[in-house]
Amino acid sequence: MNQIRLAVSRVSVTDSDVEVERPQLSLSRAAARNLATTTKSVPQMQNITSRWLLKVLPWVEAKGGAFRVNRRLSYAIGDGRLTFTNIGANVSVVPQELTELPLLRDYDDVEALAALSTRFEQREYQPGDVIVERGRPQDAVHLIAHGRVDKIGQGEYGSETVLGVLADGDYFGDQVLAGPRGEWDFTIKAVTPVILLVLPWEVFERLNGEAGGLRAHIQRAFAGSAGRANQHGEAEIEIASGHDGEPDLPGTYVDYELAPRELELSVAQTVLRVHSRVADLYNHPMDQVEQQLRLTIEALRERQEYEMVNNRDFGLLHSADLKQRIHTRSGPPTPDDLDELLSTVWKEPTAFLAHPRVIAAFGRECNKRGIYPDTIDFNGHHVPAWRGVPVLPCNKIAVSETRTSSILLLRAGEQNQGVIGLHQTGLPDEYQPGLNVRFMGISEKAIISYLVSAYYSTAILVPDAVGVLEHVQIGRED
Amino acid sequence: MTVTDPGLTPEEAEHQRQSLGTAAARNLASTTKSTPQMQGISPRWLLRKLPWVTTQAGTYRVNRRLTYAVGDGRVTFISTGADIRVIPQELRELPVLRDLPDDEVLVALAERFEQREYQPGDLLVESGGRADEVFLVAHGKVQKIGRGEYGDQTVLDTMADGEHFGSEALTGVEASWQHTFKAVTPVIALVLRWEVVQRLNGRADALRAHVDSLIRADGKPQNKHGEADIEIASGHDGEPDLPATFVDYELSPREYELEVAQTVLRVHTRVADLYNHPMNQTEQQLRLTIEALRERQEYEMINNRRIGLLHNADLKQRIHTRTGPPTPDDLDELLSRRRKTGFVLAHPRAIAAFGREVSKRGLYPGTTNVEGTQVLTWRGVPLFPSNKIPITDRGATSMIAMRVGEQDNGVVGLHQPGIPDEVQPGINARFMGVNEKAIVSYLVSAYYSVAVLVPDALGVLENVEIGRA
Repeated sequence: MNQIRLAVSRVSVTDSDVEVERPQLSLSRAAARNLATTTKSVPQMQNITSRWLLKVLPWVEAKGGAFRVNRRLSYAIGDGRLTFTNIGANVSVVPQELTELPLLRDYDDVEALAALSTRFEQREYQPGDVIVERGRPQDAVHLIAHGRVDKIGQGEYGSETVLGVLADGDYFGDQVLAGPRGEWDFTIKAVTPVILLVLPWEVFERLNGEAGGLRAHIQRAFAGSAGRANQHGEAEIEIASGHDGEPDLPGTYVDYELAPRELELSVAQTVLRVHSRVADLYNHPMDQVEQQLRLTIEALRERQEYEMVNNRDFGLLHSADLKQRIHTRSGPPTPDDLDELLSTVWKEPTAFLAHPRVIAAFGRECNKRGIYPDTIDFNGHHVPAWRGVPVLPCNKIAVSETRTSSILLLRAGEQNQGVIGLHQTGLPDEYQPGLNVRFMGISEKAIISYLVSAYYSTAILVPDAVGVLEHVQIGRED
Repeated sequence: MTVTDPGLTPEEAEHQRQSLGTAAARNLASTTKSTPQMQGISPRWLLRKLPWVTTQAGTYRVNRRLTYAVGDGRVTFISTGADIRVIPQELRELPVLRDLPDDEVLVALAERFEQREYQPGDLLVESGGRADEVFLVAHGKVQKIGRGEYGDQTVLDTMADGEHFGSEALTGVEASWQHTFKAVTPVIALVLRWEVVQRLNGRADALRAHVDSLIRADGKPQNKHGEADIEIASGHDGEPDLPATFVDYELSPREYELEVAQTVLRVHTRVADLYNHPMNQTEQQLRLTIEALRERQEYEMINNRRIGLLHNADLKQRIHTRTGPPTPDDLDELLSRRRKTGFVLAHPRAIAAFGREVSKRGLYPGTTNVEGTQVLTWRGVPLFPSNKIPITDRGATSMIAMRVGEQDNGVVGLHQPGIPDEVQPGINARFMGVNEKAIVSYLVSAYYSVAVLVPDALGVLENVEIGRA
C-alpha cells in the first residue's frame, strides 16, 4: 500500500501536465516496464561504410600466401616524378630523385647528382605567364616543383590546342642534358602560380667539366635505346602482314619479365579480449562474444579497404602507373576531366571510386552545365553513373588539408587483365573468407583473448587497369 | 616509388624475431602465379561487332551494278618550304581531265597554278561572279555557302585538303559561280585562271580535243549514285511505249583476297618439354602471339592501303568537321549519310573530345550495354573505342561510321574457317620443324579481309581535333 502511494506521488512529480491532485487510476508505464523485456538493438557502429571496393573486386585465391604477376618483358621508360624539399621559400630537388629523368636513370654517383641539384635555379611564374614558347631554342631542363601548367601545341589548321596538363613533380625539356635540342615544339603556360627549377644548358656544360662520369652516362643513355618495343614499352612480337610473295618471315617469341612482381598477402590483426564472466553469463538474447567479434571484424574490414587504397606497397593510389595519372584541367572535377579519365582506362572500365564530397563537387559541376547524369542499377543499388560507369563513394580516399582529393577509375577482373583482390580461403579457424579468429588462451585475470586476422592484397595485372585523376579540388569558390 | 616498412629497421627485426619469417616461409610455399599479362590487348570492337562472312577459296567478289564512275578524287600536293605544287598526274582527279592521255599537258597545267593564301573569313569566290578559275584546296577548310529559299545563307558543304571546285571552267563554257566559298581556317589554295589555259590551249591541242569529246559524249542515263539507270515508266495514262530495261553489272568487279599476317613462333624444346606445370609454356606463347596477331589484324583492317576502312571509304562519304572538335552536329551529319548505321568507331581520346563537346552544350547522351560493357551512344548508335585509328602529330584523327552485314549491303569481315591446323577461326599454327639447335618453330598465320559492299555503307568523319581549344 505504502509502496503504491509512493509510486503515485512519484508519477505526479515527474509528469507535470497532470494535475498533482488527480490520482493515478491504473498501472503506470514506468512501473510496467519493470516487468517487460526491453527489445534491444545489437550494438551500433558509425564508421561502417558500404566498402564498394571490396564488393567490386573479384577475389582470387593466393595459395601459398604470395601472388606473382607475370607480364611481358617491357623496357621500362623511367619516367617517375621528382620530389622536392624546401627550406622556407627556397625549393631544391632531392639529388637521388634526379635519377627519375630518363637520361640519368641508374646513375649512382650521389655526389655528382648533389652537385647537379645545386645548379638548378628557382623561377616563379604567375597564372597566364608563358614559360616556354614554341619555336624558341630548347636549351634548359625544367622541373615543376609546385603548380600546374598547360602544354599547348598547334592544331591541324593553326589553332592552339591544349595537349596536356603537367603538375608537381613533372618535368620537360629533359633531353637537353644530352645537348641543346633545336626548338621547342610546344608552348608551356602557367595556369596557377608556378615554382620551377630550371637548369640551363650552359650551366650544365660548365658542371660537366667537374663531373666527367655524368656526361659519359648521359651520352650512353641517349645513344643506347633498348630493344624494339611497342607503344606500351613491351618487347615487340614481330609480325609480318599485308605482304605478297615469299618474303622472309620474322621469327619471334614472347619474352617475359625476368623478375616479375610478387605480392604477399598483407595482414590486419588485432587481439580481442573478453572477460570470461561476461562471455559466460550475459548471453541472452545476444551472444556477447559474437557481438564483440562482429564489430571487430567490421573495423578490420574498414581498415582492409583503407589499406587497399592507401598502402604504399600495394594500395591502388600508390601503385597506379604514372602514365595513368592525369590532372584536373581547372581544379574542380568537371565532366571533361572524367571523360579524360575514362580515356585512360578505356578498355571496359568497371567503376569510379571517389570521396562522397568529391561526388558532390562533381554533381555541382554537372548542374552548372545543365547536365543530368543518369543513375544505374549496380548490384541492386541505385548509384550515380557517368557515361554508364558507376561512380561509387569511398571515404578511404583521403581529402588533404588543402581540400584536394583523387578519383580512381578501375577495371576489375582477372580475365580482362584488370585489378583483382587477393585472399586465401581455407585458413585454420576461418570465420569469413580470408579472415580467421584464433583462440589465444585465458589469462590469469580470467580474460579470454582471440587473435583476429584478415589477410588480403590487391594486384594490378596490367598498368592500364587503373587511372587516377589527381588534384581534384572540392569546395572551390567560383 | 619507395616501399616503406613502418616500424623496425632490419637489424632490429633480426634481433627481435622469435619465429620463422614470411620470406623464409615463402621458400617452402608455392606462389600462385598469373598467366603472362600483356598490355597491348584491347577490346577489338571492330573484330567483335563485324559480321564475318566465310570465303571458300580465299577470294570474295563484290558484284555491283554498272557505274559510270565520276572521277572525283582528291588531289595530292608536294610542298617545298612554303611553296606548294600539285602533282601533275593527280590532275586527272578533276572530272574534265580524267583519262587525258597526254602527261605533258598535265605538267604544263600544273606549272600554271598560282598559290593564294586566305585568312579565316575571307571569300575565295563570291556567288554571281564569273566562273573562270579552277580552285584546288591545298590546306585548310573552306565552306561552300549557298542561298536558302528565302535569301538566307546556308552552309552546303565543308571542303578541306585535296578537294577542288570550279573545274568546269576548263571546258571554256561561260558560267557564273552558283555558290560562295569562304575560308574557315587559314587556307592555301592553288588557282588556275581560264585565260592562262586559253594561252596554253593554243599550244596543246590534245586538251582541247579531250574537252570537246567530253562535251559531246555527255552522259548515259544514270541515277544519283552514278549507276546505270533502270528505266521505269510510271504515272502514265493511256498506252505509251513502255521502256525495256536490264540491270547492267560491272564487268570487272572488285575481288578481295584474304590478307595474311604471319610470324614464326620459336620455342626451345627444353622449355616446351619440362616447364609445363601449372601452365603449358607453348600454349601461353601461342596465346600471346595470337593476341598480337589479332591486334595487328584489327590495325590492318583499319589502316591497310588496300583493304583498310580508312582508305576504302568513298570520297563522297568522307566529310570534315565544321570547326575542328567532334561536335554532335558533325556526328549527326555523319549518321545522315547512310541508313542503319551499326556503330561508330573512334579513338578513345576522340570519344573524350566528343564528350567535352556534348557537355559544353548541356547534353547527356545515353549509354548502352554491349556484351557487359557500358558504351556511349549518339542517337542510339554506339561509339566503340579503338586505339588503332591513328592520331596525327597535330592531334587530328578520324571517326568511322558503318552499316554492317551482308543482308544490309554493309561492311563485312572476310575469313575462311576450316583451314588446316586451325587454332581459332581463320588462324592456324603449323608445325615447321625442329632445327639443330633444338628450337621448335611454328608458323602462325591469320587470314582476314574486309569488304565494303556498297560505297555508302562506310563513312569517315575526318579532321577530328582532339585537343582542347
